[in-house]
Amino acid sequence: MTRFLTPRLAVALLAGALLLYPVALPGAFYRDIGVTFLLAAISASAWNIVGGYAGQVSVGHSMFFGLGAYAPLLLYNLWGWPPIAGIPFGILLAVGLALAIGIPTFRLSGHYFSMATIAVAELIRISAGTWDLVGAAIGLQGPATARGWWDLTFRSELPYYYGFLAVLGILLAITAAIEGRRFGYYLRAIKTSERAARSLGVPARLTKMKALALSAAFTSVAGSLYVVKTGFIDPDSGFGILVSVQMVIVAALGGAGTLFGPLVGALILVPLQTATNTWFGGGGSGLTYILYGGIIVLIARFEPGGLFDLWHRLAPRLWKRGHAA
Amino acid sequence: MLLEATNVSKAFGNFLAVAGADLSVDDGEIIGLIGPNGAGKSTFFNCVAGETTPTAGRIVFAGQDVTRASPEAHARAGIGRTFQVPATFEDMSVIHNVMVGAFLRHPDRHDARDQARRIVELTGLRADQPARSLGTPGRKRLEIARVLAAEPKLMLLDESLAGLTPTELRQAIALVRRIHEMGVTIVIVEHIMEVIMTLTKRVLVFNQGHVIASGTPEEVVKEEAVIEAYLGRRHRRQDGNG
Repeated sequence: MTRFLTPRLAVALLAGALLLYPVALPGAFYRDIGVTFLLAAISASAWNIVGGYAGQVSVGHSMFFGLGAYAPLLLYNLWGWPPIAGIPFGILLAVGLALAIGIPTFRLSGHYFSMATIAVAELIRISAGTWDLVGAAIGLQGPATARGWWDLTFRSELPYYYGFLAVLGILLAITAAIEGRRFGYYLRAIKTSERAARSLGVPARLTKMKALALSAAFTSVAGSLYVVKTGFIDPDSGFGILVSVQMVIVAALGGAGTLFGPLVGALILVPLQTATNTWFGGGGSGLTYILYGGIIVLIARFEPGGLFDLWHRLAPRLWKRGHAA
Repeated sequence: MLLEATNVSKAFGNFLAVAGADLSVDDGEIIGLIGPNGAGKSTFFNCVAGETTPTAGRIVFAGQDVTRASPEAHARAGIGRTFQVPATFEDMSVIHNVMVGAFLRHPDRHDARDQARRIVELTGLRADQPARSLGTPGRKRLEIARVLAAEPKLMLLDESLAGLTPTELRQAIALVRRIHEMGVTIVIVEHIMEVIMTLTKRVLVFNQGHVIASGTPEEVVKEEAVIEAYLGRRHRRQDGNG
């Protein structure tokens, strides 16, 4: 950060920009981009707790996103409950699954953990595609018209935008609180050397389990928000591998293991995706894979720390150069 | 008796890395473990630190059986260790590294920071320096600081003084002495005989998984088996000349 742009001022400016964005750009197109950006930022920030801070790179986080997405519509389809009532149910399912898979998979490390998470997510996606209760391959549909505000079905994008923004604010506040406490230090220590961390008394497996459970809970909320907005879910849009890969790329592009890295990543990737979708339409559906692959190669080759890390290195130099001129 | 390791063995397949080693450590001692590379010192060290579970034998620390306990349980019981290849937390500053150790006895972050500051000052490090910018001597010192912040009763130093210049070595020896004066019992694995002769009162010599000699440093360096297996004939000549 430069001398004038203190961290507190930067956060205030960011909060102000996000609050004013729908007012400054009132068109439905821009507001839709805003909502998509917030959803990507929430998902990636949730992934960041376990994948970024603890360095346990899950490539199967869509399992939690999907559970959060299916839960509200399942309760609506079974008993006509408003989708909002399904959000805590989704969180419960996601945390339960996190604990169930965390016990065996946290014995694995590095690539093996990543591969195990992909396998579990794919297993759930395939099972959901053949299970009639959850709509099999067709998926589930939410209320077509709102019965009341509690159905959270709005014509305007504004309620979604500010609702999502509030969730993002809560998630970032929790992450910031973790960063400064023992739990946050333990996560970063485990990421660098689990062996050394354990020798200092860090209960590594328990710490990773807590991080995965918290990350799963917020990823599930992201899934619920997605379904509340779209009113529809199927196995691919809930449990598909692209959902997981997007979380990883957004966080890694901005800076995994940093508070605002996922926001920076979403700020770049969401407009980029919107642009490719607009230019190429449905014919360019495979382009997403190329885009993601290209970004992975570029990050791994040139900036493993992500753009936020690059900014941290460049900002002091740019400031000095500006003042010397 | 602070630590009692009895008949400790560790096998990897058919290879017996440690074969029935015994070690008793009294409160307040500094003990040295020496021997050629591959003698089983580090494996024995890992057994005592809880990183490796012995195939046979028993390890009792402060009256508690820790033979099969996890590394974190060892740390909680009061055993701290450094690594042969320093394993510092590269993405953190010096003080944050030390805070990870301090959190074991001081869960509150303000208390942990105060404890870490005291230790950083004692070890002569710079609190805000990024760990990744430290050289090997700095990293080894940081590891010692990190372990010290966890307030161990027993500190296991695995070649923590290797690769230092003569000046750095003198400073490191002074630091180990200061830690010992604080009431910490120390077991040190080292190849540098100057360290062993200066710091320790008792030495165990390992060779091919067995303890082949034990006694005061002056006694063991004269033993034929030790000269043959570790010190070499050159040492005998130097000893004779001296």
